[in-house]
Amino acid sequence: MKPPEIHEQGPATTLPVGSTAAVRAYGRMLLRRHRGGLAGMVALHGTATVAGLVGPAVLGSLVESLATEGGGRVAAAIGWYLAALVVQSVFTGLSLLRGSVLGEEVLADLREDFLVRSVALPLGVLERAGTGDLVSRGTTDIDRLARSVRDAVPELVVAAVSVVLVLGALVVTSPLLAATAVLGLPPLFFTSRWYFRRAPQSYRNESAGYAAVNTVLAETVDAGRTVEALRLGERRVELTDRKIREWISWERYTLWLRSVWFPTVDGTYALAVLGTLVLGGLFALHGLVSPGRLTTGVLYAQALVHPVSRILRWYDELQIGQTSLARLVGVREVAEPETDAALHPEGRRVEAQQVSFGYREGTDVLRDITLDVEPGSRVALVGPSGAGKSTLGRLLAGIYAPGRGRVTLGGAQLSRMPAERVRTEVALVNQEHHVFVGTLRDNLHLARAEADDTELLAALVAVDAAEWADALPDGLDTEVGSGGTALTPAQAQQLALARLVLADPHTLVLDEATSLLDPRAARHLERSLSRVLAGRTVVAIAHRLHTAHDADVIAVVEQGRITEYGSHPDLVASGGPYAALWRSWRDEG
Amino acid sequence: MPLVPLPLPDPGRPDLSSPLGFLRWLGRAQRRGQLLATLWSTLELGSMAALPVAIGRGVQAVVDHDTRALLTAGLLALLLAVVQTTMTVLLHRQVVWNWIQAASQVRQLVARQASALGGGLSRRIATGEIVAVSSGDVEKIGWYVELTARLYGAVLAWLGVSTVVLWRQPGLGLAVLLGVPVLAAAVWPLLGPFERRYAEQRALGGKASELAADTVAGLRVLRGIGGEELFLRRYRSASQRVRAAAVRTARTWAVMQAQEVLLPGLFVIGVTWYGARLALDGSIGVGELIAVYGSTAFLAAPLRVIGEAAHAWSVARVSAGRAVKVLTLTRDDAPADGSAADGSEADGPAREGAAGAADDGAELVRRAPRSDLHDPVSGLTARAGRLTAVVCGDPDAAGELAARLGGRPVLAEGVAAGPSARLGGVELDGVPLAVARAAVLVHDKEPVLLSGTLAELLDVPRSGRVEPAEALAAARAQDALEALVDGSPECAGDPMAARITERGRSLSGGQRQRLALARSLVADPPVLVLDEPTSAVDAHTESRIAAGLRELRAGRTTVVLATSPLLLDQADTVLLLQQGRVVASGTHRELMTDEPRYRAVVTRDENEAGAGAGSAARPAARPAADPVGSGLAGSGLAGGAE
Repeated sequence: MKPPEIHEQGPATTLPVGSTAAVRAYGRMLLRRHRGGLAGMVALHGTATVAGLVGPAVLGSLVESLATEGGGRVAAAIGWYLAALVVQSVFTGLSLLRGSVLGEEVLADLREDFLVRSVALPLGVLERAGTGDLVSRGTTDIDRLARSVRDAVPELVVAAVSVVLVLGALVVTSPLLAATAVLGLPPLFFTSRWYFRRAPQSYRNESAGYAAVNTVLAETVDAGRTVEALRLGERRVELTDRKIREWISWERYTLWLRSVWFPTVDGTYALAVLGTLVLGGLFALHGLVSPGRLTTGVLYAQALVHPVSRILRWYDELQIGQTSLARLVGVREVAEPETDAALHPEGRRVEAQQVSFGYREGTDVLRDITLDVEPGSRVALVGPSGAGKSTLGRLLAGIYAPGRGRVTLGGAQLSRMPAERVRTEVALVNQEHHVFVGTLRDNLHLARAEADDTELLAALVAVDAAEWADALPDGLDTEVGSGGTALTPAQAQQLALARLVLADPHTLVLDEATSLLDPRAARHLERSLSRVLAGRTVVAIAHRLHTAHDADVIAVVEQGRITEYGSHPDLVASGGPYAALWRSWRDEG
Repeated sequence: MPLVPLPLPDPGRPDLSSPLGFLRWLGRAQRRGQLLATLWSTLELGSMAALPVAIGRGVQAVVDHDTRALLTAGLLALLLAVVQTTMTVLLHRQVVWNWIQAASQVRQLVARQASALGGGLSRRIATGEIVAVSSGDVEKIGWYVELTARLYGAVLAWLGVSTVVLWRQPGLGLAVLLGVPVLAAAVWPLLGPFERRYAEQRALGGKASELAADTVAGLRVLRGIGGEELFLRRYRSASQRVRAAAVRTARTWAVMQAQEVLLPGLFVIGVTWYGARLALDGSIGVGELIAVYGSTAFLAAPLRVIGEAAHAWSVARVSAGRAVKVLTLTRDDAPADGSAADGSEADGPAREGAAGAADDGAELVRRAPRSDLHDPVSGLTARAGRLTAVVCGDPDAAGELAARLGGRPVLAEGVAAGPSARLGGVELDGVPLAVARAAVLVHDKEPVLLSGTLAELLDVPRSGRVEPAEALAAARAQDALEALVDGSPECAGDPMAARITERGRSLSGGQRQRLALARSLVADPPVLVLDEPTSAVDAHTESRIAAGLRELRAGRTTVVLATSPLLLDQADTVLLLQQGRVVASGTHRELMTDEPRYRAVVTRDENEAGAGAGSAARPAARPAADPVGSGLAGSGLAGGAE
């Protein structure tokens, strides 16, 4: 059977994935950090396993005494068995608990490490890579790894300890029997290699296929109005059925893999028991092994089944965990920009000097841009979509470093300043007005951690948000964001503006900040925004022409260049493309 | 054994009377699979139970120095091993398939339900709740369905072993017969606390995961403004709470596992002791002692299945309840007289009425291009074949108007339906949903781009009059196409093969709006209602879209709710709405000169806009009105942020 065709890739990987060496190094680091816990778990489980070996030995000795002496110390043997059972139970419980404590510590380390690295990513990387890949690492990969760390690692360690101890007990009981018990291992090695070459990827595809059905469903629900309006219901049902078919085709494939592999595993176990019974029996008939030892040996061979199954069952989970770990570790490999902590701006003038910039080698989005932003002035960037306005805005906000040329603030190069310093001076205000899960206070505090409630409330008043904020059930302590009290887009925008008031940067770059809002709701936001803008230098990426009209300077950006530059009256008088557009807008409006 | 082809072409009509009824219905739908799995399970467990007999005979043969008997015992063990190995594979295949059948049926049902409810869904239930049914709950329901057959097998194996032992050694047999249920029940007291702790751990884990996702999703804000330390601290404490809860769960789990070793162990020891004494008496041989020991130890396997099934049953019942809840949701917008029924309700009592309505529906859709659209609530009339623009100061009122114009709007809870919009005199609220949607397409303020290739995005039910390329050209989406091609290397430069990610997140707001507009234009409905289709588009592009829209919709009925002069100027008629009523009409230029209220709204000056401009409280802190814009000094730049 061939694996099904893959119709679709998962979410694009936009951030680096850790190399094998990096993953190993990280694994070793974790191992060192949790050495003690691991040793404790192995010791506890070893004790439990050894205690578990007593039962078959007792039965063997009973058989031995019954076969040779016709009776004997039954009560004593049973007493030993009982004591061993109690030890086995207690230590099994303890080793499981120890394993869980260890697993949870490692998991907490992993997820906290990941977030620590994530929040240190440079803003330019985030702007370009988006956050989708990072979110999927922070949720899906952490979940997958949880299975590995919580279950697979302890199970594998424990099972390996068991195999070694049981084999050891077999050797002690009878080296001959130990040899017959491992007869089936070589073929198992080959079939397992065949299986494990195919299994991890197939299981990943299977679970991706399973998740894809939900993605389609979530979209159908989420886009319910659109689906209904465009009469897409039937198509969505067909699409879901197709995704279910694709998922099942992977289920079928992995089922086939197991259908081939399982019998070889079971066969190996059967061979071990059968071999020890028949060959061991023949040895016993020739007096090489006593019947008691034969009994114990056969039971030990049977006892090997369980831990070997565990190893085989959890092995691919470990491989899957390794892939997820590589994605988490990859975040550590994003290069940090070289910054100079000694760099301080002198003054507030923002200047771009012969700046060129491209997202990819050889294709410049901006070419040879020179722009001087006077402190306290208002500059409007206008031009068609895709001309490079947003990119220019991000260069002026210090988010991207120019490919050629310099962007400076008060004479100091923005891209060489630490991000934490840049943002006290310049902020980008864009369409993204994320409301974080948490209280309204949390959502404001992030802009200035030391602010007290009076300052927070003052910021809300400043952006005209006091009225609805007061009306919230618990005031500043109201839970907002996903799952909490829902804020309207306009309120979310005001929240973002209140953060700006608190952070208080002297220069703002506005990129379509309210463009996703209904223009009619946007109107009273403009008032909030205008209060925030008062007294600051503003670079506005403009969609509506009356914006440009009021700016001190207008820069028309077309195809990566500034094609017109000047005040509104100057540009209208010069009769260029801006003047033409303005006339059509004004005459009509 | 061949497996049933899945997924089923039709998931069937479930029994939704109760969670239990639903689970039973799922079981009935795969009766053959359940029967086969029970058979395989019984045979598998039976051969496992019999293996100790073969081992006992082998040892007995050694004690008796009987080579022949040893080989016979070996042969028996071989036979049992072959049966067991075969049955394990057959059983595994069958139960996995049973699981998949149940899971895919539930998922198909949920998908059909989601499509049938459409816009009515998100008002009734959170997206997450529906998706949870299709992921987590499906797994639990499937788990239970998978386990039922194995449970029957386990019970049969236990009864079988008991019968055999009862026949050979009545005392032992009784012990086995009674011991197993007692041991199985011994796990249950711990199951409740375990479930509770586990649920707590899951809830905390979900919260931490949500916090991580939320922090990362808003990372651009954090990096741009600050607050990383605050959020890290919050996440650390959430993460540590998860750890502590998981360790609490592990404590109960460890006790359960220790108990699972101890109790069956005690049972085995008791039986072995009794057997050993019988062997001392000489009433059984060494071989039988081993068989007794092995068979009792084997009973741990069916015991585990019984315990697992009890566990699965307790969680599956809750999951089935959630599935039933989602599958019994209805769309509560049907007219009160019940005369109309749409496709999804066609099996109901109103069947005859529905057939009649469907005929009317075809007629309505056929006549739609030549019918005027009238809304009695606002007094708005959109003439057939014309481009009508509506200016409305209040965004909520505009959204409600757009929804009303399409007929059968989804009403907020507790809101009574007002008079219906009429298309050519026919009440749209009175026709089947599918007919209303075929006649009028309402392109709302937030159309969602469904993920897939651009070709898939534009593959909507359509008249065939407008080609995708024409629609994209009219919506001036060229730069969105370039962005798509840039973002999907696998499309090899063909924009139609380029992928749009979920909700079009890789595109800018303006690009998304234009692709959504192109999609509605391709559908080419008889009547198209557009609510602010270009609010995020720059002025350069908007003026070109306005022209493209007019050209492409020539001769078709189109209503645009907008405030941008660039769009309004292209309309045949512009209507001004205030406080929900049409107060003025004319062309854009006429209204600009003759109607100060209109000028006030369109040139974005609020003092003149009057009460209809918005419901938000506005302090009158604005400079005096100036229609053209020099008075906008206070907020001009702010407007530019749009």
